[in-house]
Amino acid sequence: MKGKYIMIVSIGLATLILTAVMFTQFKTVEQTDITAIETMRETELRAELANWKTKYEEIETKLSETEGRIAEYQSQLSNSAESETILEKELDETSMYLGYTKLQGEGIEVILKDNSNTAIDRWDLLSIVNELKFAGAEAISINGERIVSTTEIATVGTQFIFINGNRIPAPFTVKAIGDKKYLESAITIKGGYMDEMKLYEKTVEYEVKDIVDIPAYSGAIKFEYAEENK
Amino acid sequence: MIYISIIIGCILGAIIGMNTPVISYTYSSYLAIAIIAALDTVFGGITSVIKKNFDLKIFLSGFFGNAILSIALTYLGERLNVDIYLAAVVVFVGRMFTNLAIIRRHYVDKWTNKFAEMSHKNKKEVKE
Repeated sequence: MKGKYIMIVSIGLATLILTAVMFTQFKTVEQTDITAIETMRETELRAELANWKTKYEEIETKLSETEGRIAEYQSQLSNSAESETILEKELDETSMYLGYTKLQGEGIEVILKDNSNTAIDRWDLLSIVNELKFAGAEAISINGERIVSTTEIATVGTQFIFINGNRIPAPFTVKAIGDKKYLESAITIKGGYMDEMKLYEKTVEYEVKDIVDIPAYSGAIKFEYAEENK
Repeated sequence: MIYISIIIGCILGAIIGMNTPVISYTYSSYLAIAIIAALDTVFGGITSVIKKNFDLKIFLSGFFGNAILSIALTYLGERLNVDIYLAAVVVFVGRMFTNLAIIRRHYVDKWTNKFAEMSHKNKKEVKE
């Protein structure tokens, strides 16, 4: 009888210990992310932990960086409407400088014609463009070809004049926008362009106008070899 | 009687287990193998009770001895980079099934006899 009690109590105690340990284990397993680290050993886990820590630090620095940038952007955002208008204005101005805009204003129109004795050559065109620029011309065109920074006035063969890669036939109409008095005086000055032309018996007429229309440059300005030198 | 003590042990053990602090995950693999070993011993104990050859010394030494041995084997396996605990799991779970089969057969036989007796009695009563 006594043996039976001992038996019952000992098995009961064994079950008690067993279930206590089992439930502890259940809790441990539940609280640990078992899927990833199930098969890993302690050392591996340590290495992994160190790895994650460095990653965490990296990400944290990146986060603070990004937050700083966001703050910057936000401060700029309030000015964005303003900056947009400024940018637009700048863009317009730049395209005006480059010759991508049709322009209008007071200026002068010079017409160069061939006559029975002489023909107009490229030097005549080059020097009138130069004179007009010297007089402060803001925009110049010859027979509808806008003079921009890359524009050439060249002769191919003996008689054809090319401007912006297009063949331009005579007579030549040179239009310039600028102060009309300066432009007029620049070419009519004594010993100046008009006198010179007269000397070579070339036919040159000019007309001062209140409204001169100058077309936009239609080509593309490309940079193949040049790049910004910072 | 023995099942009542097992149920009480289970309930008390669950309550104690719920209130213990969580152990480190590093040691939980050792604990798991110890649990398997102890579970095997408890089933073995029940079987021995059924077979009426229960010995307290064997039971207790088996309970703690198997648990400690399996933990030691797991540790050794970890040092050797061999999953020795798998062998322990296979052996213990295999034995558990054997013990369970013995327990099952015992009760199935018992109840079959009971039913047979009951039906026999009923028939007798009907005849009389």
